[in-house]
Amino acid sequence: MSRGLSQILPTTKHRFAVGFAGAGIATLALLWLVQEPPQPWWLWAAFAAAYAVFSWRSVEVNDRLRGSPGAMVTMTAAVVFGPGAGILAAASMAAFGLLTPEDVTGRRWFQPAVNFGQLVLSNAASAVVLAGFLWLADGPAPGWTLSAGRLWIVVAGSAIAALVQGIVNFRLVAFIVDRVYGQKMTKPWSHLIQINLGTVAMGFLGGLLGAAYLLVGSVMLPFIFIVFFTGYMAFESFAMLRLAQESTLKGFIKALEAKDLYTRGHTERVAMYSEMIGREMGFNGTRLERLRWAALIHDVGKLAVPRELIRKRGRLDEHEYDVMKRHVHLVEDLLDHIEFLHPMVQIAANHHAHYDGRGYHGAGHGPGETPSVEACIIAVADSFDAMTTTRSYRVAMSQRYALEELRRHAGTQFDPEVVEAFIAAIERSGRNFGSVLELTDEEARKMAEEGVAAMREADQVHGRDFPVAPLERREHSHG
Amino acid sequence: MAEVRIRVASVGMFGMLLVATGVFLGGGSAVGEIVDPVGVLLWAIVIAVAHLLDVPTPSGHRINLGIGPAVAASILLAEPLDVAVAYSVGMALAWIVVQLRTSRLGRRDGDFLAETVAMAAYGLTFFWVLDAVSEDFQGGWEHLVSLAAAGTVWFLVRAIVSALVGLERADLSPRYLWLLALEDWTVVVALISAGGLFALSWPVLKLWAFPLALVPYGFSHVAFERYDSTRITYSQTIRALAQIPEVAGLAPIGHSYRTQDLAMAMAKELGLHPSEVTWLEYASMLHDVGRITLNEPAIIKAGYTDEDIARWGSQIVAEAPYLDHVSELVAQQYQPYRTPGTERDPDVPIASKIIKVASAYDQGVNEMGLSPIEALERIHQGSAYEYDPKIAASLRRVLIHRGIVAA
Repeated sequence: MSRGLSQILPTTKHRFAVGFAGAGIATLALLWLVQEPPQPWWLWAAFAAAYAVFSWRSVEVNDRLRGSPGAMVTMTAAVVFGPGAGILAAASMAAFGLLTPEDVTGRRWFQPAVNFGQLVLSNAASAVVLAGFLWLADGPAPGWTLSAGRLWIVVAGSAIAALVQGIVNFRLVAFIVDRVYGQKMTKPWSHLIQINLGTVAMGFLGGLLGAAYLLVGSVMLPFIFIVFFTGYMAFESFAMLRLAQESTLKGFIKALEAKDLYTRGHTERVAMYSEMIGREMGFNGTRLERLRWAALIHDVGKLAVPRELIRKRGRLDEHEYDVMKRHVHLVEDLLDHIEFLHPMVQIAANHHAHYDGRGYHGAGHGPGETPSVEACIIAVADSFDAMTTTRSYRVAMSQRYALEELRRHAGTQFDPEVVEAFIAAIERSGRNFGSVLELTDEEARKMAEEGVAAMREADQVHGRDFPVAPLERREHSHG
Repeated sequence: MAEVRIRVASVGMFGMLLVATGVFLGGGSAVGEIVDPVGVLLWAIVIAVAHLLDVPTPSGHRINLGIGPAVAASILLAEPLDVAVAYSVGMALAWIVVQLRTSRLGRRDGDFLAETVAMAAYGLTFFWVLDAVSEDFQGGWEHLVSLAAAGTVWFLVRAIVSALVGLERADLSPRYLWLLALEDWTVVVALISAGGLFALSWPVLKLWAFPLALVPYGFSHVAFERYDSTRITYSQTIRALAQIPEVAGLAPIGHSYRTQDLAMAMAKELGLHPSEVTWLEYASMLHDVGRITLNEPAIIKAGYTDEDIARWGSQIVAEAPYLDHVSELVAQQYQPYRTPGTERDPDVPIASKIIKVASAYDQGVNEMGLSPIEALERIHQGSAYEYDPKIAASLRRVLIHRGIVAA
């Protein structure tokens, strides 16, 4: 499994691109001198092609970690070409993972250069380890030969070598991220173990396939490539499932936006803020993703609520409140039947609950309970966005004022830890999300009066096309 | 009745095939000439067990694992008679277990027939090709070539027989069944490879041949389980989305589900391509999702048409990149078959026209209070202008098959 950099800042990226690409080329040149060229060349080309396809279509497993069965291909090739040519064969393949079609169309050159270098280095390191095991497995006959009795040495060796590849790869990427981003790439052990287990399994299979070729003969080749193909399908299916989940989710959000103009962009901003807070609090992997998705659906209950109620100024009366609550529950019940959304719905349903146990609780949560950290995060993100954007009842607040407001309610309405994490994350990002006008609440309220009047007018002018308009102006939907 | 006929026909043919396969492959030799009786029994048991295990396939159906060990047995047993006996005994064992486990009359008999005929075709092709190529190919390649040819024959024969067996079922078009069976080629390649990989590596690698053979199958198993979850995710999400206008009181409860049910039946009856049937499954469910916008007072005041609902719905669906085609189907569903005085628009997808008919029929029965025959009559009166006559005719056939309308 290999990981790539998604973005490099312009200041240091030249240095890193040149350094890594240079190290990669130097390694290949050195190997060219000490190793024999892989024979037959067409077999090497076929392996390289399979490796390239895997790298191009690597799948984002979660949170910037990309996985592909590439380790299986390099290990197969390193065994097939033996200790004399295998290191060169495995390392030179990395050159083919270097440019993706997206890089070419997007004219991105630095990321491929860095990835080329780190892939050559990690592939070479693992092939050297494997070569050691291959020598160990060498039979008594002249030249390098493999006997069935020593197969286990090859298989164990390639599993260990794949692990080396994974570790070197991770270390190099962590080094680059540290130096270029100034960001520590911390992953919990459980996560690393899970990923490295996958890498070890790929190495094991790769070694077994290579050894089968050596011991049984060339008839194994079609099978080897069929195995590569099925491995590719297994990873591709992962991507398909994610696409299915993500795209159906987007359908819901669009439906929500179609209903209410003010929701437009709101869900995406709340998701962004929630992700910032989550990262700051050390969430990663599945937990971070779950948080983002919960944020994306946090308002989905409004889908069935009559629009007059959503846009109503001031407090809802008892009857209106009941209607609202019933409809929100109905939609949450519907969504709860979607398996993958279940944990997200549980979080989202509770985002109006207060830290101290007061406030409105969702289905399955009783009053008095402290809501989950995730629900608290979405509550903070939701309130911050509500304050910093223009609503029907007032104009946007400045960021500074909104953050003060969050701090003032920390401990009662909001989880103080979450609020502090959010403030730290915003400071770190150096961005300003609120209105550039520094207004007090009083001034803001006054300006809002005028804004609402203007919007009412617009409402009547646009007539029936009004709610559909945001669907057609998609390019502006990011807030 | 149709089910009973399948059963009678298949039991008879099944027995005949067992005998025919054995006689033909063995060239009339006696059972006493089996070279490796223990191996034959072992492979028969493995084939039977594999036949009883089934896995999801890309077409959304399930396929049993029987062909994997069948391929391995054809190489490792090597003698045509041994192989024929192992296949026959294996299939018979599996069939007996199925009969003991389930008492209801299922489609299993039809599937069994297809499997048996296909497996006989595999054995015949394998040994015929092996005989022809063994002088030109060596080192295992002769086996590879033979199993590739025989595997292809097996796959095609199985697809043809499944389609023919399905002929007994009036509500499913043979074209649909044939295309459906063809969609499973990837899982078939994985299964045949697993068998071939095991048989060719066993003499050298011994126990290592087991993990080796499990690899291609294991990968595809993971892939197909996930494809299956993908399908479930889509259908669950789409169902929830479609129900939102219903729980919000903006569309009649259950209308989208009933429209989907009817539309799917018509599509299969008309023999649409399976992928088009899948798109229709989603589009028919979502055809009224545009009604979400209907609690907008401005819209209600200004009035709206079916075209507006279709357009709003398709815009919502278009947000999911994978569902582009579904969005198109939803957008086109309001289109009349032909407006008076004009040529009909050939670009309206047949799936959209099916949705239009299914939705109108359900509206007639469940909203206007018409009887099924009245609702059908209404569609027939509107056909040639509002509705496509071919689809109206298909609706009649589906309703007759379901016993809702008399023939």
